[in-house]
Parts: sequence; structure tokens; C-alpha cells
Amino acid sequence: MVKNLVPIVSIPEVATIVDIRDEIEEVKSFYFTLDRPEIEEAFKIRSGQFIMCTVFRAGEFAVSLPFSPENDRKHISVRKVGKVTAALHQLEPGDKIGVRGPFGNGFPFEEIKGSNIIYVAGGIGLIPLRSSIVHVLQHRQDFGRVILVYGAKSSKELMYKESIREWQATENFETHFTIDRPEPGWSGEVGFVNHLTAKLDLPVSNTVAFVCGPPVMFNAVIKELKLKGIKEQNIYSTLERHMKCGIGKCQHCAIGRTLVCVDGPVYTYKQIRTLGEQI
Amino acid sequence: MYWLTKEQLPLLVQKLAEEYKIFGPRHDRVSGEVIFDHLPDLSELDLQAAIPYNPPKFILFPHYEEILKYRYQPETKKVRIEQLNLLEPKALIGLRSCDLTGLLCLDRFFLDQEYVDEFYLAHRKKLFIVSNTCIRPFPQCFCVCTDSGPAAREGFDLDLTFTGRDYLVEAGSKKGQALVEELNLVEADPESLNLRKQIIDDSVSSFDRFALENKAWISRATNRLTTGFIKPEVWEYIGNQCFECGACSFVCPTCSCFNIEDANLASGETSRLRTWDSCSFEGYTKMAGDHNPRKPVEDRRNKRFFCKLSYSQSKKYLRPGCVGCGRCARVCPGDIGLPNVVTYIRREITGESGE
Repeated sequence: MVKNLVPIVSIPEVATIVDIRDEIEEVKSFYFTLDRPEIEEAFKIRSGQFIMCTVFRAGEFAVSLPFSPENDRKHISVRKVGKVTAALHQLEPGDKIGVRGPFGNGFPFEEIKGSNIIYVAGGIGLIPLRSSIVHVLQHRQDFGRVILVYGAKSSKELMYKESIREWQATENFETHFTIDRPEPGWSGEVGFVNHLTAKLDLPVSNTVAFVCGPPVMFNAVIKELKLKGIKEQNIYSTLERHMKCGIGKCQHCAIGRTLVCVDGPVYTYKQIRTLGEQI
Repeated sequence: MYWLTKEQLPLLVQKLAEEYKIFGPRHDRVSGEVIFDHLPDLSELDLQAAIPYNPPKFILFPHYEEILKYRYQPETKKVRIEQLNLLEPKALIGLRSCDLTGLLCLDRFFLDQEYVDEFYLAHRKKLFIVSNTCIRPFPQCFCVCTDSGPAAREGFDLDLTFTGRDYLVEAGSKKGQALVEELNLVEADPESLNLRKQIIDDSVSSFDRFALENKAWISRATNRLTTGFIKPEVWEYIGNQCFECGACSFVCPTCSCFNIEDANLASGETSRLRTWDSCSFEGYTKMAGDHNPRKPVEDRRNKRFFCKLSYSQSKKYLRPGCVGCGRCARVCPGDIGLPNVVTYIRREITGESGE
């Protein structure tokens, strides 16, 4: 029996960090390539999936994939927040990490072809949406209006400034930014992202929304989108949970009847509401 | 069906020991408690002993296990990952039907879902199972409520039923059949099929006399758990009694949550350990950054019973996740073993009050 090379299920594949970029305070992007050429070749992802990343001698953690399936460099963007991510932040180009995956379902691009797309992100909630944005812009003709509504605490905490500039150079990509408090030199909106969402003239029919951010922001944004008339089954989000295996066995990521690692991490709001447990 | 005399039993065990590491029920030398364990001394096997304190799941899913080992040298950037060979033929002798059912639940969960768990599979590959009919229930038992006893129906290589002096033997696999033939067991006449049936019927009807500790008529509770129509007060009442010790998970034949940790060894190598975990622990769902989606204890308790009895979980096991062994009720320092929880839920449905 020939074993599938991908997903990498149990034993991590060794990868080399080729580049590291500071994004915002405490958040870095780590660009990597897989050491075995056949794995590097076979490693294909769907937008919205995640991997289990081993930091040797520290442990393993689940992390979303911000790169597009096509023509985009493989990387992860990680906030220093616990023991393992702190160890990752110590690494330098040339250092090794371990990779298992990709796991999870991914965004349903086939189903939403032809729709308008609204991305609403809060803070580092833009990380798991980045892959989808890049993919959609690579296939711009397949979609209607594409809009990004992005908020953060301050201008310093807006992720992927460089990518955003590139996207803005693309035709037909609308962007709206907001920060929590006024700042000298800031010409965008001030206030929470849900307030900005409420104010904007957004498409409603034939429209899907992708929402990602901290739980409070998430619920407030969903409320606004629903008030505008966007249906629950057209609002997508990607959930985050403590995970140990990535393959539906350790059960740490269970929410009611679902396992985020195999059934998710992408869910519609309608599904989220009926999982049988609070998110 | 075949006959195995009392005198032939040690021969059967001997024969299996030539190929397999033998596990079975024995009395702990210090406490006298019946435990299901490795038997270095085969004469310690006691098929008449009471239901063991622990289920046999640790044999396939150890309390802690090194699932891989690696050495990382930061100076040279060299990584060497070593995959471990866990394959060791094992024979489980004298498995009660509840525990066998629990093992089949684990099989379906670890092997029949989206992904196969390679580490479980390695333990499972070379296993020989000898089940043992409970000719009389023990005080804690309620397998008749959960359709998992008192006799095994599937999943065994050999099944034994004690008839008072000898054992009726049924082979459930080619491996089992081969062993029966190798031992030259005498074929039993068709009448003995009826004898086995009679023994099982007698066992079922004696639950009312001997199995008095627990009752758990689960079907209506299953319905309620699935639909979520259980008042928050019921979960609060249950949650208030939870000590968060995790004992119920550890003695449960079907609980299989685990944690994975990398432990750095003095040798410079790192051992990736998979250890038992329990959904009752507060840290179970806690994420880095201190966000915990399942903070209150009743949320966590609620989850365990949802996992045991709801339809969605039953789909994974092809049956309810409770096998009626009664161990959680014995070990719980509160009073919320599964049978009691089912009682609380039923009481809410029927509107009965009082303790």
C-alpha cells in the first residue's frame, strides 16, 4: 500500500525556516520549506486549513495557514502567547520546525462562486482570512464586489500592511479600516469594527461574509450583518481551539457535536449556533 | 461449540503464552482488589474473580506512552525523528462483555473515523481476545440497560461460558478456531447451545437480586441529551458535585481523550508522550492567552454525558458510549456516576421530586 504523503498524519515532517518577518508587536511570520523534496512537492493546501507545528524541544501547536494554495510562499503568522509560541519566536532563519497536516475542511470556494464577499476581521483575526483573500484576488473574475472591513486596537496592530497595499493596488478591492482610539496621522475611521460594519453600504443579496476575530467582536459583527439582512448560512467563520492531534482523536477541540479539527475549522454561523455548545 | 474442561484451561493459557503476552483478571497482592493486568505468573489468572477495578483499555491505549522520539541539535540544525515499534502480540483472557464492548467502541472511534490512529492500530493489530460470560452480575452492573452483556456477541476470538465445572467455548474467528483445533477440544452437542442460552437467561433474570447498586434506563435520557432540553439547574446540580478528579474518565472503558506533551530527556533526546486526559479538568479546553470556552464546571460535566449518551456520539461507536460496568459510580467522590446522572435527567422529565 502506498501511503499518502499528505496530509502528514502522525510523524512530523521536518521543515526549514527560510525567512522571518516582524508583522506587529509579538507577531511574526515564519516562511518555511519542507526538507524532503517529495513532501514539498506534495504539500498542497485548501484555503482555511491548518497545520500542527512542532517547535523542537518545546512542543506542538495548531496554527492556521495564511497563504494561498497557489503562487504564495508557505508561511505561518504567530503571536507569542504561550510556551511553545515563545520558543518559536526565538528561532532564526535556518532553524528547523516540524509540520503535520494540512488538516480541516477549508473555505467553500466552489459554492460561493459569483457572490459578493465581505471580509470582516478584528486584530490578528486577519491571519486565517488572508489565504482566502489572496485566493479570491487571484480569481477576481469569479466574484462580485470584494470588501475588507478591518479593525484593530491601534494602527500599529494592523496585520499584513504590505499585503494590504498590494491588494489595494488590485482593481475592485474595497478596504475600510478602523482603530479603537484616535491617533495623530490616522485618517481612517475610529471605533469598533462592528460600528464601522453598521455604517457601511454593504451588498446584501448574493453576498457571503467571512468573519474572524476575538469572541466579543465576532458576536457584535454577526449582529450587524444579520440586521443588514445577510443570512446566517452565508456568514462564515473559522474557529480556534486547543488541539493536540489534529485528526479527531484527542477530543480537545470538541464543541458540542462537532470536532473543530476534522469538521471545521470553517463553519457557517448557522452551524455554529446549532453546535450544542457556546463558542 | 466446544467443551473446555477446568483442567484444560491452563493448557489454553499456556498455548497462548507461547505467542502472546498474557493479560487477565488477578487479585492485587496487597489490596486483594481484582485488577485486569499483565500476568507474569499465569497461575494468578482468576476467571471467577469479580469484575476488575480497571478496564483493559490501557493495554491498547496506555496511561502514558512515548509515541515518538527525536533529537534536535540546534548547532548543526540536524533533526532525527525516531518512530517507535509498538507492535507486541497480546492476549486478553477473561474479558467481561462490558469491557469487550468498550474495546469495540474504541476500535470504531480510533480506526473507523476520518483518520486511523496509527498508535492504537499498532497495539490492536496482534490481539487475541478470550471473553468470559458473566453467569451472575456483580452489585455495580447494569449492562442489561446498555445492551452490552451479560454475554459477548461479537469481537472475540474465543468466548467462554462457565457451566459450573467446565467451560463452553465458542470460536469467533479463524485464529480462535485454529486454537480450538490445536487443543483438540471436544465438540459439544447441539443441546449445549441451549445450556449456554439458559445460563445467560438466568444471569439476566438475577440482576434484580444481585445488581442492586445501579440502574440506568438510558433511552429517554439519550433523547434529552441529544435535543439539549435539560434545564441548566440540572447541570448545575451535577456540576456542584464534581470534584474534577478525572477518575470517571480513567476507569471508563470507552473514555479516550488524550494529551500530547514533549518531554526533554537528560540524554538530549525529546520524548513525545501521549497521556490520558479528562474533559473534567479545567485546563482541558484552555487556550494559550487564557481564553477558556468551557470554563464553568457544569459545562464540562455536561460535555462528558453528552459524549457518552447523545445520538451524535453514538454514531461514532455504533451504540451508546456507556457499557454499563458501573465503575464511574464506584469511584466518583461526588455522587455523579453515569447511572445517577441518568436518574437526575429522568427525574426532570417525569417531574419527580426529592432525593
